[in-house]
Order: sequence, then structure tokens, then C-alpha cells
Amino acid sequence: MPTRRIVLAAPLLLAAAPEHVPEPRGIWRGPVHGPVPATLSGAVVLDTPALRRLIATHHPVLIDVARAQVRPPHMAPDMPWLPLPHRDIPGSVWLPGAGKGDPPAGLVEAYRARLAALTGGDRDRWVVVYCHPRCWESWNAAKRAVLFGHRHVAWYPGGIEAWQAARLPTQIARPESLGGGAAPANPGVTASDPP
Amino acid sequence: MGMTPTREEVAGMRRRGLMLAMAGTALAGSVGPVRADDDAAARAARWQDLRQAIFGNRPVRDGSGLVQLDAPGRALDASLVPVAIRLTRTEGIKGVYLVIDNNPSPLAAHVTFGPEADPHALRLRVRVNDYTDMHAVAETADGTLYAVARYVKAAGGCSAPAGPDDEAALRDLGRMKLRLAGGFATDRPVEATLMIRHPNFNGMQMNQLTRLYTPARYIQTIDVAYDGGRVFHMDTDISLASDPVIGFGFLPTEKGVMQVVAKDSKDTVFRHSFPLPPPAT
Repeated sequence: MPTRRIVLAAPLLLAAAPEHVPEPRGIWRGPVHGPVPATLSGAVVLDTPALRRLIATHHPVLIDVARAQVRPPHMAPDMPWLPLPHRDIPGSVWLPGAGKGDPPAGLVEAYRARLAALTGGDRDRWVVVYCHPRCWESWNAAKRAVLFGHRHVAWYPGGIEAWQAARLPTQIARPESLGGGAAPANPGVTASDPP
Repeated sequence: MGMTPTREEVAGMRRRGLMLAMAGTALAGSVGPVRADDDAAARAARWQDLRQAIFGNRPVRDGSGLVQLDAPGRALDASLVPVAIRLTRTEGIKGVYLVIDNNPSPLAAHVTFGPEADPHALRLRVRVNDYTDMHAVAETADGTLYAVARYVKAAGGCSAPAGPDDEAALRDLGRMKLRLAGGFATDRPVEATLMIRHPNFNGMQMNQLTRLYTPARYIQTIDVAYDGGRVFHMDTDISLASDPVIGFGFLPTEKGVMQVVAKDSKDTVFRHSFPLPPPAT
């Protein structure tokens, strides 16, 4: 009986895990969008109920690393470019580009300093990092927090889409620049990278 | 020290995370995250912003009875949403605007009709990035604007991959076809469909093989004339679906040549002339 059960279960498991993605040893420098690992060494992985509990009990520092939308080059100047306001989890700090695999000079140091300031220098303060589903930049930015020595880092891979799917409130966000052209001064008008 | 989720919780999170990742596209497309923008007040506020950006302080009147906007309530494919703008009266109509409110580039098309046009119906295929209101706005010769709205459920059309192969998508770039529904006639309006081969890359699509963003390259203007007289001029943008298909009416009074000139964001100009009626093949 147990054998048969295993035989039956095996194809289901295969079907349920079409893309096992191993954790890279450090920062991921490959394509930004695509399958991501289920784990992050040194951090915990949160789903929406776990994130809500953590917010309620520990008031973590919430870091949104989603990219700002970029006006396509050569758009006729009289064509309006008006992306919807960027929304994130209330209380978040929006640091676009903090999870770039190929960060411009100074970005990693600026991110380290910003995290230190946001946690008040307490490396045991919880830090939660997210962006969108199937996006490596939140994985990278959470990994960076671990590498900086933060001891309570959480990654929320469902991102703002999972939060909104649970009908939870959002806030309109303003991007904070980490330098290196990561965040436009005027969101949605110009930027150096694709969203 | 700090709350650490239990082993079971973490396992549950991973399972659910995996399911969420698998559901990815389906979730965005069909179940659909609930957005604050679903809310009528937010949609109205968005339209006010767009009205201001596109039309400035010009009044925009209710276009019910004059303008009709046909679009599927729920689109099967967000990167290919068929839209038709119909007018019950065409005298004194200068042009029409199609606005897809929640697209980052909301003005999908502005069409100015010429003397050779029959503006009764204009058909386009567009990309829709989010659940959104769409507005069709007709402008009369005296500059008055008449708008109607329609709510469309579709999401993700702006980042939907154009196809597996960018090079294939760029092959035959600018090739055009023209089809006439009901044949050519000189005693009634003729309904035409223009097809232009162009991927209309919007810069938000990822190549499925290289997983890199395909640089933006999209059609910006289309001019259609019949024997030198304007049928329409269209200013358009990344909201137009790849391989644009435009349905329009025109009013030939004799045999002639339809000239089409399209220009893309790389300043490449595509020209084609169609003798009408089409020669027998």
C-alpha cells in the first residue's frame, strides 16, 4: 500500500514542481523575471497570513524594491505617459532597484546605509523585502540584507499582487532614490531601466 | 527574540508560494487581484486626470447617442483586445480618440478623418494592462468633445510576450494587406481592413528565450489616403497590439489607389499602394 501511494504521488509531485530553482550562492545576476527559488538561506519566506502576523506583532521594516515604470524611448512628446500610481503595502519604503543584479556604483552601499537607518542600527529588527511575483529583485534585496548582517530578514515572494489578491489595503508610494539612476525623481517620467 | 514562523508554517508558505507562482498568469488574468482602482470613485478620478492631460480645460460632454464603444467586458487575450468605435452621425465629425484609462500610455489612438472617410466605424486591436475604463471621444469640427466609457476586464497585455522569437517578429516588417468587406463599390461606403506587419514592441515585453527586455519599437503614425485625398491620419502608440489591424470605412467615387504610409519609433517609414478594386489574382 505505501509503495502504491508513492507511485501515485510521484507524478503529482512532478506536476506540482515544474521548476525547481536552486538558490544561487550569492546575488542573482541573471534575468530579473522568471522562476525563483522557494527558499533564501539566512531569511524566512512569508506568505500573506504570515506577513500579516509579523506586521501585527513586530512592526517590521517593509521594503518594496519594485521598479518604477519607464516611459518608452522616442515616444512622441505630446503623447501622455501617465502610469497608475505605484501602490505598495502601507508603511513600506519604496527603494526601486535595491535588488538589481548589476547595481550601479554606490547603490549597494546606499541600500546598506538606508537599511541601517530604517532599523535604527538594530540588526535584530525584522526587515521584509518584496516586489512582484516571479521577480528576482526582491530575492536579491533580501539576500543583500542577510549579507549586510541583518539577522531577521523575511522575503515575501508573492509581492504586492498577492497582498492585493487578499484584498488588503495599499498605499500610493513615492520612490526613494538610492542613487545611480535607480529611482527617477519624477516617477514614471524617466528612468534608466525597464520596469 | 523575534517571531520565527514554525517549520509547518514555513512549509505551508512554500507550498502556497509555489502554487501562487504556478497560478501566476492565470491569477493575473482571470481571478484578478482586487485593485483599489476597481472602485468607481478612483476610476472617475483617473478619468478626470486623463481628461485634463489630453484635452486640457475643454469641456467633455456625454456622448451617449452619438458615440458607441464596443469592447469585450472580459477580454480573452489582454494583448489583443478588439475595440470598435461607432458613430451614429458622421457629419461634422473631425476625429475620434481612444483612451485606455489605466494603461501607462493611455491615449491609444487619435484618429483624424479626412474627406474620403466614412467615420461610422473604426476598429482596432489594443493592449490592456489592467482592469480599466476605456473612453471613446468624438470631436466635432467646432471642437466639441463627446465621450462614452466602457469597463473592460483584462490585465497584463502590455507585458505579454510578443512571441518566442523577436527576429521572426521583425521579419517582413511593414508588410501590408488590405481587405475589403463586401467588395469595392463607388456608390456606397466601402469597409476596409488594413493589416500591417509590425511587432509594436513596447519595451515591457520579455523575450522568452533570452529573458531580456525587447527594446521598444512601435508604430507612431498611420496615414491612409485615397487618390491623394485623406481618409484618416492616426497618431498611436504602444497600446496598439502587435501586427496592427485597423478597420475603417471610406467613400470611393471611382477606381483609384489607396496609399498607406506608416512610421515607427525608429523613424522607419513603410509605404504601400493598393490599386482598387484589387486586380483579379
